[in-house]
Amino acid sequence: MSLLDSAGAAVELARGMGAEQVKAWISSGIEVELQQRQGKLERVHESSTLGLSVSLMVDGRYSSHGTSDLRPEALKAFLQRAVDGTRYLEQDLDRTMLPFEEMGSLDPASLDNDDAESINKRGPEERQQAIKQLEDAILAGAGEDLVSATSYLWEVRSQSAAVFSNGFQATQARTHYGQGGMVTLKEPSGKLPESYSFFNASHFEDVPTVEQVSTDLWTKADEVRNTSQCASGKYTMILDRRVASRILGAMISPMAGGNLHTGRSMYLGKLGQTLGSKAFTLVDDPTIPRGMGSKPFDGDGRKARVRPLFTEGRLDTYLLDLYHARKLKMEPTTGGTSNIVMQPGSRSWKEIAKEHGRAIRVTSFLGGNSNPASGAFSLGIRGQLIEDGQVVQNLSEMNVSGNLLELMASFVEAADDPWLFASYRVPTLAFTDVQFSGS
Amino acid sequence: MHPTELDPSASGHFEQFGIVPEVLDQVMRAALSLGATDCDLFFEHKVSTAVALSDSKVNRASTDVDLGLGVRARVGDQIGYAYTEDLSLPAMLRAARTAAAIARSTPGLAPVALSPLHLPNRYEIQTSWSDVGMDKRVPLVRAWEERAFSLDSRIEKVQTSLADSEKWILVVRPDGRMAEDYQPMTRAHVVCTAIDGEVRESNSYNLAARAGLEFYSDAARIERMVQKAVERTVFLLDAGKPVAGDMPVVLAAGASGILLHEAIGHGLEADFNRKGVSIYAARMGKKVAPDFVTVVDDGTLPGERGALNVDDEGNIPERTVLIENGVLRSYMHDEISAAHYKVKPTGSGRRESFRHHPMPRMRATYMDPGPHDPAEIIANTKRGIYATSFSNGAVQIGAGDFTFYMKTGFLIEDGKLTRPIKDVNIIGNGPAALEQVDMVGDDLMIDEGGWTCGKEGQGVPVSQGQPTVRVKSLTVGGE
Repeated sequence: MSLLDSAGAAVELARGMGAEQVKAWISSGIEVELQQRQGKLERVHESSTLGLSVSLMVDGRYSSHGTSDLRPEALKAFLQRAVDGTRYLEQDLDRTMLPFEEMGSLDPASLDNDDAESINKRGPEERQQAIKQLEDAILAGAGEDLVSATSYLWEVRSQSAAVFSNGFQATQARTHYGQGGMVTLKEPSGKLPESYSFFNASHFEDVPTVEQVSTDLWTKADEVRNTSQCASGKYTMILDRRVASRILGAMISPMAGGNLHTGRSMYLGKLGQTLGSKAFTLVDDPTIPRGMGSKPFDGDGRKARVRPLFTEGRLDTYLLDLYHARKLKMEPTTGGTSNIVMQPGSRSWKEIAKEHGRAIRVTSFLGGNSNPASGAFSLGIRGQLIEDGQVVQNLSEMNVSGNLLELMASFVEAADDPWLFASYRVPTLAFTDVQFSGS
Repeated sequence: MHPTELDPSASGHFEQFGIVPEVLDQVMRAALSLGATDCDLFFEHKVSTAVALSDSKVNRASTDVDLGLGVRARVGDQIGYAYTEDLSLPAMLRAARTAAAIARSTPGLAPVALSPLHLPNRYEIQTSWSDVGMDKRVPLVRAWEERAFSLDSRIEKVQTSLADSEKWILVVRPDGRMAEDYQPMTRAHVVCTAIDGEVRESNSYNLAARAGLEFYSDAARIERMVQKAVERTVFLLDAGKPVAGDMPVVLAAGASGILLHEAIGHGLEADFNRKGVSIYAARMGKKVAPDFVTVVDDGTLPGERGALNVDDEGNIPERTVLIENGVLRSYMHDEISAAHYKVKPTGSGRRESFRHHPMPRMRATYMDPGPHDPAEIIANTKRGIYATSFSNGAVQIGAGDFTFYMKTGFLIEDGKLTRPIKDVNIIGNGPAALEQVDMVGDDLMIDEGGWTCGKEGQGVPVSQGQPTVRVKSLTVGGE
C-alpha cells in the first residue's frame, strides 16, 4: 500500500468512528550513519522507520495523535481511543481546517531536494571506504596537539504523504547527505578544546570533498586554541554565518502565532513598524531548489510561497497558522519558516571588521537563552577579538547580552559569504555596540 | 527508604506482541551471527498522553504510541545499531542482521537461557495512567488555571498542561539477563503571562515525577506549583539586569544543581573519559574541590524523574559517588566504559528510546549538604548575585567551559539581597568553578521540576539538586 493510500485509510477509519474532520500524515524514512575514530568504525547505525500522525475534530473538539504501532487491530484501537478521548475536551471551532479550495502544493519536483538515486548507489563497503578517506584527510592536517579525531558520514531519505478529509492530498520526499569531523586538541593548561565542521546537503554531489572538510575543520581548530577572556565592554559583533541562526532564530521566534497569542512576543502591536536598521532585510523562501528548508506546502495545507519577514527593518509579517490567526482575528500567513535568507553584501567580514576598530567575532554559542516577551537575550560565546581586521586573541568563557530589538537596530552590514548548507542561508553579520562580559 | 522489589513473575508485557524466549533467542543469534562479542535487544512500548488548557478552555489533547526494538551488536567498543518499529520476526531478524554487520568474523558467542532479573521498585504508583480517562485529567488543568488567575490581578493569560507516559521496556542479553520494567512519568506545567503598564512578561513552573495520578492529590504540592508560576512571572515585571563581569555567584538550593550537571556531570560520563576528550580524563583520584564538596549521581531516589529500576543495558542503577570530600572517585559507566576501566557498570547506560544506542548518562545529580548556614552565605557576600531559578545549561566537555541561564535572582549588596534581576547567562570553567566553591549550605534540595538532559541528540529525564552554594567567581552576562 502506498503512503497516500495508508494515510487515506487512516482518514476513513477515523471518520467512520465519528471524527468530522481528519488530517493524516504517514511518514517513512531510511537512515544510515557512520562514525569512525582511531582507524576503526566506532558506530554504524542503519534503520528504516514508519509512523502515522493524525489530528481530529470530533464534535468541534480537537486533538492530535501519533503512533508507530501500525498493526491493523492496534491502529483501529488507537484511533478509537483518540476519537473517544477527544469528546471530553471543550469545543474550539478555530481548529476547523481550511476549505479545499484554499489548499495547494508546489510541485515537489520543482524543489529538487530528493536525490533518492544516490542513497541507493552506495553499499556498506563504499560507505566504509568513504569514511576512511574522510578520516585520512582529517588526520593529514593534524598536529602534535591532536587528542582525538572523529569522522561522521550520514545519508537520510524521508518521504511523507498527507491526506485531509476535505480531499486535500500531497506528498513530499527529501534526502540529506552529509559528512564532517570533530577534533579534540591538547593545551598545556590541561584544557582539551574541541573543533568541529559539518556539511549537510540535499544532493550527494553538493557535499564538499573530504579535503574541503578537512581544510575547514583545521581552520576552525585554529580559532579554539589558547583561548582566554577579554575585557567586558561594548564591541562590534561580527556574527559568523554558521551560527547567525542562533540570533536570527531568537528574533523570528516571537513572530510565531503561539507566542503572539499568549502574549509572549516583543512584536505585539508592532506589525508594520520599523524595528531594525535599514540594512536588515530577511526573507522566508520555501521555493529554493535544493534548499535545506524548502517545502511544497505548510502544515495547514497551503501552497508554500516566498514571504518577506523584514524589509529595511520593517516588520512585514507575523507567522500565523490558521488556528492562531483566528485567535488573533488576523489573516493567516504560515505557521513556520523554511529557508531564512539574507542577501549577501559585497565585502568580506574582515574588511567590515577593519572599519570598526575593535570587534568580537562570535564563532560559536554555548548555552544561554532569550526572552521572547521582552527581547532580552544572554548567551555564552567563543570567538575572536579583532583589531583593525586582524585576529589578536581567541576568546572563550564570555557572554553576549542585550535586547534583540536593539540588536536588530544596530545591524550594519552583511558580508559576502552566505552559508548554504543549512536552512538559514545567511552571511556573516555585523552589529555595533553589543555588550560582552568577560574579565 | 528501602525500595521494595518487583515481582519478576508480574512481567510479560511484551508477550502480547509475540515476544517469547524462542523469538528472543533467534534474534540474539542473528545479532551475534557475524562474530559480535556482545549484543542487547531493547524492546520499548510507550504510551504518552497530554492535555492542555489555554484561553480558559481545555481544548487540546494528544496521545502518542511508540513501539519498537533496538538491536545493538558490539565488538569491543565498536557498535552496530539498527531498530525496527515492526515486531514481526522477519523484521526483527533483519534489524539484528543489520546491526551484526559491525563484526566480520564467525560467531563465537551463543546466548544462554534467559532468566528474569529481580529489580527494585523505585516508582511505586497507586493509579496507573492507563486507568485514567480524559475526564479525570481535564478538571485538574482547569483548577490550576483558576487558582493562578486568583493569585494576582496582573496575570493576563494562563496556560496549563498535564502530560504523562507509561513505558514498558524489556532488555535482553546473551548472558541470560532479561529485565522488564514499567516506567511511569508525569509532568504538570503552569505558564503565566503578566502585564503591568507597558511591561509584559511570561514565566512558568512545573512538577515532574515517576508517579501516578495520586501525585496530584497532594494539595500543598499543587498550591506550591501554581503560586511559584505566578510569583516567578510577576517577579520579572520589576526585575533588571546586573552589571556584566566576574563576580561571586550564590546559587539557591534546588534547581541550581544545574551547576553540577553542566560543570561536572557531563565531564564525568565515562565515554568521554575513556576517549580522553573530557577535561576530567586525567584527574581520577585527584583533589578537584574543597573537602566539604561531595557530588553524587543517584539512580535510586524513589519517585524521582531520574530514578530507574534498571538501566537500558540491563544493569541495576546504584548511588554513584563521583566526588567524595573533594576527591574525584568515579565516573558514570555504561558497559563499554566499565570494561575499559575494569570496573562494575554503575547502571548509567541510558538511551532516549529504542531508536538510540545507550551511553553513560546522568540520573539524579546532587551535592551532599555542606557545613554552612545558607543565611550566612549571603551575609558573607559583599557584592554578587543570588540566582534562584534556571532554564537551561550547556557544556564543552574538553575545554570544560559551561553555562547556565538564570531566569530570576537578586543582586547581593553588602551581604543583603537587594534588586531583583532576570535573564542572564552565567559562564565558567568546570574544574576552576569546582575549586572556587567556597561555601556549601546544609539545605540540600532535589528540584521537583522536569529536567531533560541532552547528549548527542538524545534526551533523557533527569533530576538535579544542590544545597545553597557560593562560587567565588563566575562570569555574569549583564549590562
